[in-house]
Amino acid sequence: MSFARGARDGWRWAIPALLLLAPFLLWPLGSMLWRGVAPDGVISGRAIAEVAGDRFYWGRLAFTIGQALASTLLALLIGIPSAYVFAMIRFPGRAIARALVTAPFVMPAIVVALAFIQLVGDVGLLGTLWVILLAHAFYNVSVVIRLVSGVWANLDPQTEEAARLLGAGRVATFTHVTLPALFPAIASASALVFMFTFTSFGVVLLLGAGGSFLGGPLDTLEVSIFRLATRLVELPAAAILSLVQLATTLAALTLYSWLQRRTTATFVLRADRSRPLRETSTAERALLAGVAVILGLLIVAPLAALILGAFTTGGEGAVTGANFARLFEDTGRVSYIDPLQAVRWSLSFALGATIIAAVVGTAAATAVARTKGGLGPLVDGLLMLPLAVPAVVLGFGYLTTFNRGWYDLRGSPWLLLAAHSLIAYPFVLRAVLASLQGIDPRLPEAARVLGASPWRVWRHVELPIATRALLAGSVFAFAISLGEFGATLLLRRREFATMPIAIFEALGRAGEANLGRALAMAVILLLVTTVSFLAIERFRYREVSPF
Amino acid sequence: MRAISAIVVLVASVLLIAACSDDDGPTTLTVITHDSFDATEAVVAAFEQEHGVTVTFVKGGDANQVVNRAILNSGNPEADVLFGVDNLAFRRAVEAGVFDNYKAKRRDEIPADILAQFGDSTAVTPIDYGYVNINLDRGAELLAPSTFEELTTETWRGKLVVEDPATSSTGLQFLASTVAYFGDGGWQDFWRDLKANDVLVTDGWEDAYYVQFSQWGGDRPLVVSYTSSPAAEFLFADPPVDRPPTENVIPGPLFRQVEAAAVLKGTKAEELAREFIDFMLSDAFQQQIPETMFVYPVIPGVETPDWWRWAEVDVTPATLVADQAEIDGWVSEWTEIMRR
Repeated sequence: MSFARGARDGWRWAIPALLLLAPFLLWPLGSMLWRGVAPDGVISGRAIAEVAGDRFYWGRLAFTIGQALASTLLALLIGIPSAYVFAMIRFPGRAIARALVTAPFVMPAIVVALAFIQLVGDVGLLGTLWVILLAHAFYNVSVVIRLVSGVWANLDPQTEEAARLLGAGRVATFTHVTLPALFPAIASASALVFMFTFTSFGVVLLLGAGGSFLGGPLDTLEVSIFRLATRLVELPAAAILSLVQLATTLAALTLYSWLQRRTTATFVLRADRSRPLRETSTAERALLAGVAVILGLLIVAPLAALILGAFTTGGEGAVTGANFARLFEDTGRVSYIDPLQAVRWSLSFALGATIIAAVVGTAAATAVARTKGGLGPLVDGLLMLPLAVPAVVLGFGYLTTFNRGWYDLRGSPWLLLAAHSLIAYPFVLRAVLASLQGIDPRLPEAARVLGASPWRVWRHVELPIATRALLAGSVFAFAISLGEFGATLLLRRREFATMPIAIFEALGRAGEANLGRALAMAVILLLVTTVSFLAIERFRYREVSPF
Repeated sequence: MRAISAIVVLVASVLLIAACSDDDGPTTLTVITHDSFDATEAVVAAFEQEHGVTVTFVKGGDANQVVNRAILNSGNPEADVLFGVDNLAFRRAVEAGVFDNYKAKRRDEIPADILAQFGDSTAVTPIDYGYVNINLDRGAELLAPSTFEELTTETWRGKLVVEDPATSSTGLQFLASTVAYFGDGGWQDFWRDLKANDVLVTDGWEDAYYVQFSQWGGDRPLVVSYTSSPAAEFLFADPPVDRPPTENVIPGPLFRQVEAAAVLKGTKAEELAREFIDFMLSDAFQQQIPETMFVYPVIPGVETPDWWRWAEVDVTPATLVADQAEIDGWVSEWTEIMRR
């Protein structure tokens, strides 16, 4: 699928991504991996043979892939019907519901663990594969909902109507007309969910503690890498496993990108086709009810339990604002983090990272779309690598490379902003690429025939079509920055502590008051997130005109 | 056009916000600490005023990770002073040569057995100490176990949560206590029995204490924590209580964790770094150690708050001297026993 025949400027569009990747990913990562693989300056074959010969690590790899596939499937099973509901039915409270289902995305794993436990208590779920799959669904269903409903709502109904007129049944119309049109979005969402669950860390570490599956612990590769890297002597093994994780994800992404290019159908987009509740059929209302129950149990209930926990103290369970009062009360300690400052820093990082991610991600998507032949999927896979890098390795890499002279950035908020931008732009890339690849090739071709330069084609044909996807991707870029914890933890300073760091600080101490402070901060994070999403949604509906 | 100008304004405001907090004063002292470090603003402000400097604290993970960071940045330190190196992690740091020797002014007042835990090395200065032990949730209405062996009996099946020594310094200290108590060969059997008795292993203290411990919503009435945790529960109880909701269980001699401070080699503020270490041994700093870090001051006889009585325990410190290779050996063996 090389829709942009004649446009050979793909590489130029990759420059913004390279400017970010070279200093903030390749250099620190390469230096850490080299340190691990070649501790004495030459590649140590013994360390590699030791890891490769250990069946324990092969078991971890198999488990990591297996649980990621299962989690992706579960997210799709819940996400696709929900996407239909969000795309087609204008039910009351839709905007808030959409913001709420995305909120889990920013919740630190320890808070999610607290929420799940406050909700279900101990029903034998902890330390099982099931709780990991459920938590992954909790985190990732919104990726499917947002990316798929974004396209579904704008599909041209005439194509489906034509199929029906020609005698196709409901099912045949769905499988032959609707599904192919949705495929790029579904594939994008699956790739992201797979990536996320493949590199899952906090959820597995906390909820899978002590569990086992098929004779091995519930450890993903990322968790194994963390365990090894925090013990310096095991750095070689950590580096080798990091390489395995990077190679596996790169292979999976390249395969996915290649498949997507082969199967993507072009489609025509129309204005939002959602209808008010009263115009929906009985079947659709039943679907709405079903989706409401499932999302309610999976997402709203744990969040509600969290909020309830924040508003109660002591054994009696009376509703009180004491935890919040305590949060804002300066303890007079050097560890005290002003919650408003934390909100301000979180928003600053998220805003900055989103702007950078929007520019870099859109350019990167154009680069992939315009790279011809077999190289395209590989470029795509490489550009997605930031999501596959173990946070602990990257964090240590930052501390050991940006450490001299003018580039001594240890303790600088700029390094954190770079890290956030790095892991945020792949979301924009995925969303925008899905949209670019769905464009009818005749549109840009017509523009070119009429004498438009590649830049003008991009600016006046492709970009307007991709705007909606760009905004959907930006929501996630914003969210991923708000919730980022792994790299932030290693680069943190009290002077620019974010909300997840403030939660972590409070949880690091014994005593009810500290737990209450952490829960109150988590509720503020939830509130800030939801309000931000609603604000971005408003922006989105004002800016996008039907085409 | 409007969108572009909006973006320009946003970028500018982000730059501005970030720029505001970037400028340090003319002289600053950076102290990298473990995550549990804390001090009152007042006592730090007194040091800052006396020396005309700004002190910046960087939290660098647990005792083990702080040392890792120092080693990874050897010769080009990210801070001037390191606080939080303990008697298990210090050998590795000393072998890597990341500290400058300094004999603190009040060093002679520190008990000899504490100094001996660092092999009397002046590379580090002990500041405080603490014990990892087991806490019992009083609400469970169980009679506390009195020996390590008792933990492997049917009564305590599925009741205990511990931390992974590979990732948690709390877990490592508890492992050290069992190594000291049972000796080589014995401790491995003890942990095999614990595993058979359905012990739960978590990655860190936060998870063990706030998620799995029955005092806080989990279902395990015994947790590996600190001898000062009941005192913290007493202090932070809401509404106030007459006695802590948890109690100390002393199953035998306990490994004593001593936390120390050191001047990082390559610092550009060596004199100031030394002054800061002396300051950490001053009465003013030592007195606020219980309320800010919930550990015991290293200078004998300094005044402590009234509620600290809940942390007064009768413990026989376990005698244990180990080098880094031995510690790594325990952790690998433990991982082999518990995780596979």
